[in-house]
Amino acid sequence: MNRTVLIVGLIIVAAIVAILFMGLGNDPAHIDSPLIGSPAPGFALKAVGSDETIDLTRYRGKPVVLNFWATWCRPCWDEHPVLTANAQMAGDRVQYLGVVFQDEESKIRSFLEQRGWAYPTLVDQAGKTAIAYGVGGVPETYFLDKNGIIVAKFAGPMSAEDIEKNLRKAMQ
Amino acid sequence: MIAFLLVLALQLKVPDAEQFVGKPQGTPLTGEQLHLRTQQVGALLRCPVCQGLSVSDSPAEMAVNMRGQVRELLSRGYTQEQILSYFERSYGQFVLLKPKFNGVAAVVWILPILAVAIGVVIVVSKAKKLEQRPTANGQQPTANDPYLARVRDMVQKP
Repeated sequence: MNRTVLIVGLIIVAAIVAILFMGLGNDPAHIDSPLIGSPAPGFALKAVGSDETIDLTRYRGKPVVLNFWATWCRPCWDEHPVLTANAQMAGDRVQYLGVVFQDEESKIRSFLEQRGWAYPTLVDQAGKTAIAYGVGGVPETYFLDKNGIIVAKFAGPMSAEDIEKNLRKAMQ
Repeated sequence: MIAFLLVLALQLKVPDAEQFVGKPQGTPLTGEQLHLRTQQVGALLRCPVCQGLSVSDSPAEMAVNMRGQVRELLSRGYTQEQILSYFERSYGQFVLLKPKFNGVAAVVWILPILAVAIGVVIVVSKAKKLEQRPTANGQQPTANDPYLARVRDMVQKP
């Protein structure tokens, strides 16, 4: 009996250790998006600093970098110049879009006036767009291919290399 | 100005649950019932920006927005299952505070039951062994054992 108890105990402990070990390399902030491989939820939102409404379908036919951010998010401040520079370099080949999450339009306008912008920034309505995309925090970026399919998600501030790596998937 | 805002509101479009989970399959709720069900359904959803808090319990703005969406969907007649499916579609099973019985999540349900079952088997078999444990001289006591008869006498004596 003692041997049986020992063997069963060892099996249980080994299983728990294996599960914990597998999780060691995981980033606790990273949650896989179940939307990868699915069509991006559609929206038409007001652009900051203009009366224009921008519909996502307008950009069908080219890859889209959809960045959720907010002015109260400090890492978004660091990411902003990287995104702006990459959007300028990409020109018409890739469409960058910012969706501002839980923020005020006056603050967004003032932020963009101070730091510059290279692509449209849209205002989310009661966080509904962010919820439909499964946004858990900002900044968070979704990469859409030319058919409007979500091919990648990046949580956290991106470097130019991160953008390039994910954009490659969107351009395939 | 009001006319302009109305035109703008009509042009705006946010992702709608109908796109993902179809038409409402329940009865639209109002008043106190709507408030109560919003709390109940919100309690089943995890706030994605909090540490283990439900959407009903968290004061975070994200949770407030999610609660608002639950409320809106209930008022339109969406059922609890449809609402949970809608959130699960965006966030995955992570958003459900009560994991489903499938895949790796099934382990969460099976493991405690398995542990209790193993514990019961160990306790029962130990108890049986104790019952069958031989006496100091290596023999099982019988009803006619002289030692037991003496003990019985001593106990029964007034």
